[in-house]
Amino acid sequence: MFNLLSPSNIFSFIEKLIKFLNSIFFIILVVGLTFALILSPPDYLQGDVVRIMYVHVPSAWISLASYSLIAFLSILNFIFKIKNFYLINKSIAPIGLFFTCLAIVTGSLWGQPTWGTWWVWDARLTSIIVLMFFYIFYILSFKLIKDEKKSVNISSLIAIIGAINIPIIKYSVEWWNTLHQPASIKLVGSSSIHSSMLLPLMLMLLVLLIYSALIFLMKYKTEIIRIKKKNIKRL
Amino acid sequence: MIENLLLTINYGYFVWSSFLITIFACLLFFIKTRKTLRKYEKDFACEIEKLSQEDKNLVLANSKIANQVLVSQNKTA
Repeated sequence: MFNLLSPSNIFSFIEKLIKFLNSIFFIILVVGLTFALILSPPDYLQGDVVRIMYVHVPSAWISLASYSLIAFLSILNFIFKIKNFYLINKSIAPIGLFFTCLAIVTGSLWGQPTWGTWWVWDARLTSIIVLMFFYIFYILSFKLIKDEKKSVNISSLIAIIGAINIPIIKYSVEWWNTLHQPASIKLVGSSSIHSSMLLPLMLMLLVLLIYSALIFLMKYKTEIIRIKKKNIKRL
Repeated sequence: MIENLLLTINYGYFVWSSFLITIFACLLFFIKTRKTLRKYEKDFACEIEKLSQEDKNLVLANSKIANQVLVSQNKTA
């Protein structure tokens, strides 16, 4: 199974996948934006401001999912010592940081008209800031530490410690009194969001997921080339 | 609808800012990532070209990736 995930085996597949994702991305982007900005109804309470949800929520979901994946692969890397997992994590981390920052900025832009403030140190917002710092520490660990073995161990350790923050972010709105609203969409149980808003939200999630996949594939390809280049220099 | 969104100046400002910031940031991140990839591909192709014919043949025979990068670089050149 792990041979299938080897860099040389998937390298040629990456180029084809990049081309395919590039070709469908703009169509889905236009459809997503049309639903998010034009076709979806305004909220009965928040009015049109609710449209910020269509960029804020998918960004926050991707940032959490990216970190969860990094932590999971770091655990696997500790056990099986598969270098490829480290390369995958290295390629995912900047995407996670990017979407965390985007979630913070768009959340702030949503907070001002609805809460009357750009920022408040409540549990959800503070835990998201903590996530951002974990991403920064994680990225710095492989940027600053030159010894690769040491870098792999330290970055994996940071990823695993930071994973404690994920359930804190998820349940912060239930455990503490926060200005941030509780989740409207639940994987288990009934969601409190209307289908006319759920559809644009899912479309925008798809748009940002395709975008993330594109960035990931390019970054992963860069990492593979970087290693190959290093090997050539040894000749 | 979109007219309401444009007319409600105060709220529209926040909505448009969110979408524009997202699109602009995504675009910048995409361009930067692609530029880095192209740079690495170009550097890698140059490293292969610098090798002696014997080493070059060895690398090309053993590495599918080196082959693909060289082919893509030759196409863009």
